[in-house]
Amino acid sequence: MRTGLAAFTLAAALAAAPMGTPAFAAKDELVIGMTQFPSNWHPSMEAMMAKSYVLSMARRPFTAYDPDWRLTCLLCTELPALDKGTAEYETRADGKKGIKVTYTINPKATWGDGSPVTTEDVLFTWTVGKHPQSGYSNFDLFARDIVAIEAKDERTFTIHRDKAVCSYAEINDFEILPAHLERAVFEADPATYRNRSKYETDTTNPGLWFGPYRIAQVEPGSHVVLEPNPTWWGAKPAFKRVIVKSIENTAALEANLLAGQVDMVPGETGLPLDQVLAFEKRHGSRYNVFYKPGLFFEHVELNLDNPALADLRVRRALLHAIDREAISKQLYDGRQPVAHNEISPLDRVHAPGYPTYAFDPALAGRLLDEAGWSERRAGVRHNAKGERLALEIMTTAGNRSREVLQQVLQAQWRQAGVEVRIVNEPARVLFGDTLEKRRFKSMALFAWISAPENIPRTILHSSMIPTEANNWAGQNYTGYRNPEMDRVLEDLEHVCEPEANRALWAKLQTLYAQDLPNLPLFFRADPFILPPWLEGVVPTGHLDSSTLWIETWKAKE
Amino acid sequence: MRTGRFLRRFARHRLAVVSALLLLVLAVAAAAAPWVEHWLGVEATGISLLDRFGPPSALHPLGTDELGRDVLVRLLYGGRVSLFVGVAAALASAVIGTGIGLLAGYFGGRLDDLLMRVTDGLIALPLLPLLIVLGAIDLTRLGIPPEVAGAEDASLLRIVVLVALFGWTTVARLVRGATLSARRRDYVRAAVAMGAGSRRIMLAHILPNVAAPAVVATTLTVGNVILLESVLSFLGLGIQPPLPSWGNMLTNAQELVGTAPLLAVWPGLLIFLTVIAVNLLGDGLQDALDPRVVGKR
Amino acid sequence: MTRFLASRLLQALVVLLLMSFVITVLMTLMPGDPVDMMLAGNPRATPADAARLKALYGLDKPLLERYGHWLQAALVGDFGFSRLYAQPVLTILLPRLGNTLLLLGAAMALTLAVALPLGVYAARRPYGWADNAINLFCFAGISVPAFWLALLLILLFAVELQWLPASGLGPVGGEGWWERLPYLVLPVASLTLASIGGYTRYVRAAMMGELRQDYVRTARAKGLGEGRVVWRHALRNATIPIVTIVALEFGALFSGALVTETMFAWPGMGKLIYDSIMGNDLNVALVALLFATLTTLAGNLLADAAYAGLDPRISFKGDGA
Repeated sequence: MRTGLAAFTLAAALAAAPMGTPAFAAKDELVIGMTQFPSNWHPSMEAMMAKSYVLSMARRPFTAYDPDWRLTCLLCTELPALDKGTAEYETRADGKKGIKVTYTINPKATWGDGSPVTTEDVLFTWTVGKHPQSGYSNFDLFARDIVAIEAKDERTFTIHRDKAVCSYAEINDFEILPAHLERAVFEADPATYRNRSKYETDTTNPGLWFGPYRIAQVEPGSHVVLEPNPTWWGAKPAFKRVIVKSIENTAALEANLLAGQVDMVPGETGLPLDQVLAFEKRHGSRYNVFYKPGLFFEHVELNLDNPALADLRVRRALLHAIDREAISKQLYDGRQPVAHNEISPLDRVHAPGYPTYAFDPALAGRLLDEAGWSERRAGVRHNAKGERLALEIMTTAGNRSREVLQQVLQAQWRQAGVEVRIVNEPARVLFGDTLEKRRFKSMALFAWISAPENIPRTILHSSMIPTEANNWAGQNYTGYRNPEMDRVLEDLEHVCEPEANRALWAKLQTLYAQDLPNLPLFFRADPFILPPWLEGVVPTGHLDSSTLWIETWKAKE
Repeated sequence: MRTGRFLRRFARHRLAVVSALLLLVLAVAAAAAPWVEHWLGVEATGISLLDRFGPPSALHPLGTDELGRDVLVRLLYGGRVSLFVGVAAALASAVIGTGIGLLAGYFGGRLDDLLMRVTDGLIALPLLPLLIVLGAIDLTRLGIPPEVAGAEDASLLRIVVLVALFGWTTVARLVRGATLSARRRDYVRAAVAMGAGSRRIMLAHILPNVAAPAVVATTLTVGNVILLESVLSFLGLGIQPPLPSWGNMLTNAQELVGTAPLLAVWPGLLIFLTVIAVNLLGDGLQDALDPRVVGKR
Repeated sequence: MTRFLASRLLQALVVLLLMSFVITVLMTLMPGDPVDMMLAGNPRATPADAARLKALYGLDKPLLERYGHWLQAALVGDFGFSRLYAQPVLTILLPRLGNTLLLLGAAMALTLAVALPLGVYAARRPYGWADNAINLFCFAGISVPAFWLALLLILLFAVELQWLPASGLGPVGGEGWWERLPYLVLPVASLTLASIGGYTRYVRAAMMGELRQDYVRTARAKGLGEGRVVWRHALRNATIPIVTIVALEFGALFSGALVTETMFAWPGMGKLIYDSIMGNDLNVALVALLFATLTTLAGNLLADAAYAGLDPRISFKGDGA
């Protein structure tokens, strides 16, 4: 007891002295605060935003989408292309049309312990990825899309893909592993490799990393320290240390920022938009705040098995009944654009010209009348059978931004005579069960996240409707079936002539807008809060983190 | 006569009297929420995007929240929910606890052993983590029809049931102790000798004598449940919107504490005042009901 | 005494066994098994992938069989791997346990250091203005929602005054324990403010009970100094119920303080238990919860033992409980 008291007095004394690191004096250190902490470190085991944000500082995929949403080579020297001879159609043994694609690893690429990155590593990675017991979550890339890999020499290799897809050059998820460190671990027992990988047992081993920084220290649940990697081949990174702190509570994270213990909060896994909008109003002059709308498609998923929602007129009426422009303007200061389609207008494949649904309560009313929901009793529409037009909307419990949006939608639909009840569930229940098993009754509010030019096959193709029979595979939770849409989705994968491809994309967007399998709301804007002295941070707005280009980040002189 | 003495003793405990009055005012105000709503001419669920974060005005005495809703009316409705959860959960656990304590204390022996071991076991459980597990389990898998499990106020009932399931142990122990000593009293012995049934003895003779500790413990539970509801809201497992509760209003306001600090201050203050009043009331009740303490004053 | 101990140990074992089974059942009752959650993020996963992963994690087997396997391994000290963190369970658990013990131990020590004098003072002049003020202060501490208090402390001392760090375990790269001290101040303060009330009131009640005893009157009559009577004689006897309460609260030390840990980004047991439950990491949740239960049981036992050891009037002979 006495020691406790003494310790506290001492602490108070220390506290009174000016404390803390002089964050503004020494700008060779960058402290990043985010709301998640990576739970594990293997690059291919479990996808998680916080993990890919940190790992992108310490390693690079072969290919990635850059901030302008164009595919680019990071670990390879040049994107393979048909006209350059680095990609070539071939007929596979079973007679189907495949494609072989040749990449060259950047000749200067070196693991942090000095061993070169070679095709040996590529082959090893493929072996791990396609092993049924390795536990890779993107097993399909390694085991199905890639039929064979041949190493030409130390640096050049050819991938044979099972289908002649238009996006043949993209291997963003091919996260290369260091064979010289991991092979022995993997071969000892593939089934437990996941737990014994050096990424988990020896995270700070320099040989695991080859990015501009490498992981130097991990304090689980609290922070990660990254230091420059001497073997990095690109531009020299500007900071002696990058510290990534995890502060899960958003109010506490904001306080850390104001207290100067955190320099920046990234958009990838940082603060919610409305909190940052409020923050900018008060402290905008002291920080560099900006917003990047991207590929996070906030929408209302509909269950088309619901008889009311199966009627297209009702779906259209629901969209006409909500004032998305006003919501965007009032709740998001206009920072978060209204979505009129599944495909973002910023995407290269976006093709305007599809029908859109502006706020029009009168039209919404007429459509509902036509659909038979014409009798209003106590404000709620009923049909001839006396059924109420009553729906449910679900979202992730505890997600304040969505809860707020949900309540606005509920109020606006009530104006149109549609009764909507709010039923929320924790994320793990909603995503792990209710949606996946299509147990939501009518509506669910959440976001789809994708890469640019992503073909939305898994969410719109009729074969992707999860059922008990297919073990709940696929993400067409809506239960949307349209043979024409199926055909477009299939053709998009292999009809690559620019003209024809563009036509297919346009068709997809028109079909989507006509059928409204779900209700598009917004393309989420990620807010970034940076200190004024930091430059070079370019947000991407998609799944690839801005930290893939961290070597360009530096402190202003 | 007994009531009169109790009131006199209670009245001496000034803080407790003030607390009782405060709680009464809060309860009446919460009960009157629909009338206040009507009188002000606003709607608790009336969302108005143009009136976000409005300052206090004649129409909105405490201003408006992030969706332009009237803060005062929402606080009153939130008070209904929070007070209901607190009182309902406390009463439910009091009933269970009194029943178990009476049985264990009156019959003793094996039954007592068994019940008290169960009580010990429950006390040994880490409460909050268990509430989290139970709060996330899928009610439909337990055979509860989806209509009930998915109802809008299911979150409210879930909390009440969970607290009742785990919260009865304190009352049970207190009541058991009191029953043990009451059983040895002469009038109980006399009743037994006269051949009165166990049920009658327990209800008519023992219960009134063990009520005091149960009442005090229950009062204190009300406060704890209100606090617990705010913690569950903080974790996203509390009362779900659009139903307001002080806990979820406070949680929602914390992110905006810089822009609209009052949105966090009001629910926080109400939780604080209510819980402190409940505790002081319990304190006063204890002094007034426990002759030992007062006798020595 | 030996029989008593043996019976209590047996009881504890039964409780732990039951508890481990109940937690396993409850965790399986939670919707969405781990593989479902992993695959939710991967649209291209096929039914075969799901089946493969389920087999890999042993989720394809019936509950009882899985529990049996776990129990067998656990009995020889193998608690398996964390699904979420891909690390042995104890590797995950022990550092957080250390963090929690530091935080809660410091808070407990400080709480007692304040509560004892306050409680004794209040008991010596019961119902006076000082007692009322202390009473009010105690209840105020108990009645504040924990995250609200934490946020207020952070805003005041870290943001406004910039006296103390807002959160974290310590300075990055800081080696000395003294460098961690400033980081402890706010979380310890918020825990202490919340628990001080309860302890002060226990101390006050216990002291009032003792001060009414005959021996105190005798001691006073004999002309012993009031300070000596209170601090030496009465307090020593009042220690018994206080130690009991401390021992009972012992278990809470190990299950952590979820809200405080979250607000101050202090990775401890509370946060770990919460995250493992929410992330469906059964192995971690199971061991962490069992650990918390075990320490609570140990605390209860300790409380009984302390009671018997300190108070000569109580013995364990022939008493099953």
